[in-house]
Amino acid sequence: MTLRIHAGPQLLAGLRESSSYPAHRDYFGEVPVADRDTLIQSLESVRGRGGAAFPFATKLRALGASNRPVVVVNWAEGEPASHKDAALARVRPHLVLDGVQIVARAYRAREVHIVVPKERPAVVDAVTAAAQQRRHPKRFKVHLADDRFVAGQARAVLELMAGRPNLPVTAWQPEAYSGHRGRPTLLSNAETWAHVALRMMRPDSPATTLLTMGGESAAPDVREVEIGTSWSKVLGSWSPDAPILVGGYHGTWTSVRRLGKLPVDHDTMRMAGVPLGAGVLLAPAPGECPMTMTARLARYLADHSAGRCGPCFNGLPAMAAAVSDLAHGRGEQARVEHFFDVLERRGACAHPDGTVRLVRSLVTAFPAEVAAHRAGGCSFAERRHDPGESVA
Amino acid sequence: MSITNAGARGRAAATLRVDWPACKGRGFCHELLPEIVDLDEWGYPIINGVVPPELIGLAKEAVRTCPTLALHLT
Repeated sequence: MTLRIHAGPQLLAGLRESSSYPAHRDYFGEVPVADRDTLIQSLESVRGRGGAAFPFATKLRALGASNRPVVVVNWAEGEPASHKDAALARVRPHLVLDGVQIVARAYRAREVHIVVPKERPAVVDAVTAAAQQRRHPKRFKVHLADDRFVAGQARAVLELMAGRPNLPVTAWQPEAYSGHRGRPTLLSNAETWAHVALRMMRPDSPATTLLTMGGESAAPDVREVEIGTSWSKVLGSWSPDAPILVGGYHGTWTSVRRLGKLPVDHDTMRMAGVPLGAGVLLAPAPGECPMTMTARLARYLADHSAGRCGPCFNGLPAMAAAVSDLAHGRGEQARVEHFFDVLERRGACAHPDGTVRLVRSLVTAFPAEVAAHRAGGCSFAERRHDPGESVA
Repeated sequence: MSITNAGARGRAAATLRVDWPACKGRGFCHELLPEIVDLDEWGYPIINGVVPPELIGLAKEAVRTCPTLALHLT
């Protein structure tokens, strides 16, 4: 796979051949020192980039006066169609570690855990090498996350760090109060840490976010765009009628036309019912339409259930089968919709909720397409789907 | 029932929460509290709303008797 990393305004500005520590320091200058109050004030605009857009400063406030919290960089990027954190590992690993250093110093944290994806060896190598180049390499402990969609979920990451299976468990308290081995823990996505660093080192720079486009192709694109940019500008050459899945496998279907009316902005997009998630934008693969792609993804997500929570373990495969039946003209939409209430908010993690979001958005955004499939047809693909086709 | 008035002294509404990885769908909670616990097609609990004051005693019993200790009152 060839990752195409495009130059951008902030995180991806000034890319050079070398991502080495001296080259990085030359470009960004020394790591600033800040106290807790300054950090909280300065980082007010930083949102979590793991998908939930949770305000980073809120996590800092929750830590309060606790000393030596455990700091965690979630570099696991469990979603196969997301490559932004892999891009950072390649070109800006030290920006992520700068963010960690600034916050760890203010909170007197000694222990920094970095969780990287086992199935992306280039990321593992780049991050491990970057940590080795820092002044205190022994402070960083690198963990290998499993090749599983939910392996990067916050509680699954904490389980891995504690030496247990890398699977989600019920969170009774936020990790800021009780995280790694019950200690106050500050866990954030790799890109979030890079934004933390940038905000402290370049306070006047505009806020940006990373996007992955074509994440299922052999050459995914990673771009950085300013918050507030119109999607019509970002999508440029896309046909207005094209379907687009915003937010990846747990994302929301919409059309390029509808998305084009919105800005790249977490809150505006969430209010419009199209949350940005971790910034993954997908179009149906060749030969696929939104209906068949949703059937494929629902099956994938069912296979990637940790298998621990009853409703998810039983309900995701059942919903995936219902979506597949509908796609192949032998099912009812009501059967699919039945699972929405059965699955939502009934698991240790948001995997069932995210899968429901994907399927629900299909029936909301493309009712005509769903109806066409129910009748054995397909308005997107030229070939008609054979109702006798075997269900994957 | 003798436990009807337990917990009815103006406390904030209690909620039953399921520890989903622990729950094995044995259904004891539904037996004790059919008013607020339904079961899905696989036998896992569906919690409907908060626990009314008159059911707090039964809810505590459900928490205590859950075979996998998967039910929590918060």
